[in-house]
Amino acid sequence: MTEQRFAAGFLFPGGLWLLAFFLVPLGILLAISFGYTDDLGNALYGWHPENYERVFDPVFVPVLLRSIGFALATVALCVLIGYPVAYYIAVFGGRRKSALIALVVLPFFVNYLVRTYAWIAILGDDGLVNGTFDTQIRFLNTPWAVIGGLTYGYLAFMILPIYAALDRMDPALIEAGKDLYGRPWLTFRHVTFPHTFQGVLAGAVLVFLPAVGDFVSAQLLGGPDEYMVGNLIQQQFFAAENWPFGAALTTIMMLFLLVWMVLYLRSAAREAQEVTA
Amino acid sequence: MSVDVARPSPAARSDAVPARRRPPKAFDRPRFLRLFTGLFFVFLFAPIVLVVLFSFNSSRSLQNFDGFSLRWYERFFESESLRSSLLASIEIALVTMVVATALGTLLAYGLVRARTRWSGALNVVMLVPLVTPEIVAGASALLLFTQVGFQLSLTTIILGHITFSISYVTVVVRARLATISREVEDAALDLGATRVQTFRLVTLPELWPAILAAGLLVFALSFDDFVMSFFTTGESPQPLPVRIWSAIRFGVTPTINAIGSFMLAISLVTIGLALLLPRLLGRRESGMGVLLGREGA
Repeated sequence: MTEQRFAAGFLFPGGLWLLAFFLVPLGILLAISFGYTDDLGNALYGWHPENYERVFDPVFVPVLLRSIGFALATVALCVLIGYPVAYYIAVFGGRRKSALIALVVLPFFVNYLVRTYAWIAILGDDGLVNGTFDTQIRFLNTPWAVIGGLTYGYLAFMILPIYAALDRMDPALIEAGKDLYGRPWLTFRHVTFPHTFQGVLAGAVLVFLPAVGDFVSAQLLGGPDEYMVGNLIQQQFFAAENWPFGAALTTIMMLFLLVWMVLYLRSAAREAQEVTA
Repeated sequence: MSVDVARPSPAARSDAVPARRRPPKAFDRPRFLRLFTGLFFVFLFAPIVLVVLFSFNSSRSLQNFDGFSLRWYERFFESESLRSSLLASIEIALVTMVVATALGTLLAYGLVRARTRWSGALNVVMLVPLVTPEIVAGASALLLFTQVGFQLSLTTIILGHITFSISYVTVVVRARLATISREVEDAALDLGATRVQTFRLVTLPELWPAILAAGLLVFALSFDDFVMSFFTTGESPQPLPVRIWSAIRFGVTPTINAIGSFMLAISLVTIGLALLLPRLLGRRESGMGVLLGREGA
């Protein structure tokens, strides 16, 4: 048996699994998105492109735009918070670098619902902050509460790639910038930031994708006025029992995200090739 | 000589050395950065600390700590349905861990060693679940199970969890595989070992730290997963995160703090094991390096 044929056999179990439980379901999703429901609410196959017209109904367009807006704001906040933190850890972390990065990743393994729920206790109308300072600030049920929840939930996805990019960067480059009389800000703008921009881009995609599809943050920290497309999809599947429309919404969202996914996957696949080559 | 021009004179160098010791000028803002990073960690951990702290509160209050008590944990463990949910969560995570680790490891080996017509496409398909919003994977899994007439139960949750877990294992194990030199495998083959023996006796032992670390990572991911479980769960028992979701929507209760803290403890033990594992196996590399695919990092 040649090595090629031996190794190729290893591809089958996992490959078939992903085909059966990932690709085929996506196909069914696409098929059902053109379907309809019978009187009992069962989803049936058919040819009803009007499901897609309904996605762009004036009632739903604001929700779609809001999802993109919230996700973009989340990405921006994650860069603003994540870059300085990644920078501090990568450059000044010293021996504690690994420990600090482990601390950044750790909360990611606390259940997302519990982490989000904790913010209700902190920021609620009679929550910890308002109780302690005897104020009556309305934090929850605002767009910023939802964006904050998303930022809190996905920040690690931004910090890790930026940290990796900074860690890879040759410090001599920054010294060179300094030797050429670059003031700190100029050196950062012309040397450090361009050299780590790939990391920022990777982080932006990794935050943007799950943030667009999120429904937990909007449901728990916001309200119906802050609902995102994820909430809409969730409602179609569990409350309205209109699965074909839910599938159409999901498909549109997936198509919109596909551009970013392809961009990311191309660079990830290239990196993997470099690793295995 | 040109070397003399490029290198500063000894006198100039002695000036340069102490200047080097100081952090370079471009970095001269650490005070602000340190404060910022400190605040960031407060922001990151405050909610978690709060949940754990108030899980031990003796009163219902979520603002005032009125003394230590275990009553919310008792409430949690006395409830038969919550206990069965906990067991369900553990069962799902264990089965997912075993199956996804096996499938993901084989896939990693195939992707690195085989050059087939399908390798390129399969590589992309393997990465897609990592960047697909969970709600998409969840909704399509739900559609699959209902269309083929599969009753929603723990089994459907496990099938869904395995699907999103395989890719994590493959990525971690593949990075490890890339650091193993092929010559060792070739040597085993030259010495008369069969392909299967070589894989079992030479390749696999080298991969163990990565496989185990990936397995523990999958356990933690599966145990904490909400969205896929939410879409594929049957009536009962439902895994803990789904129970938390239902409970939160009826308002904030301290029992959720106890459940959350308990889940946190299980996740921390799992991740801690994953990080320490290579050391426990007597290897010198760090678990972090294995998970991030960096040898000896």
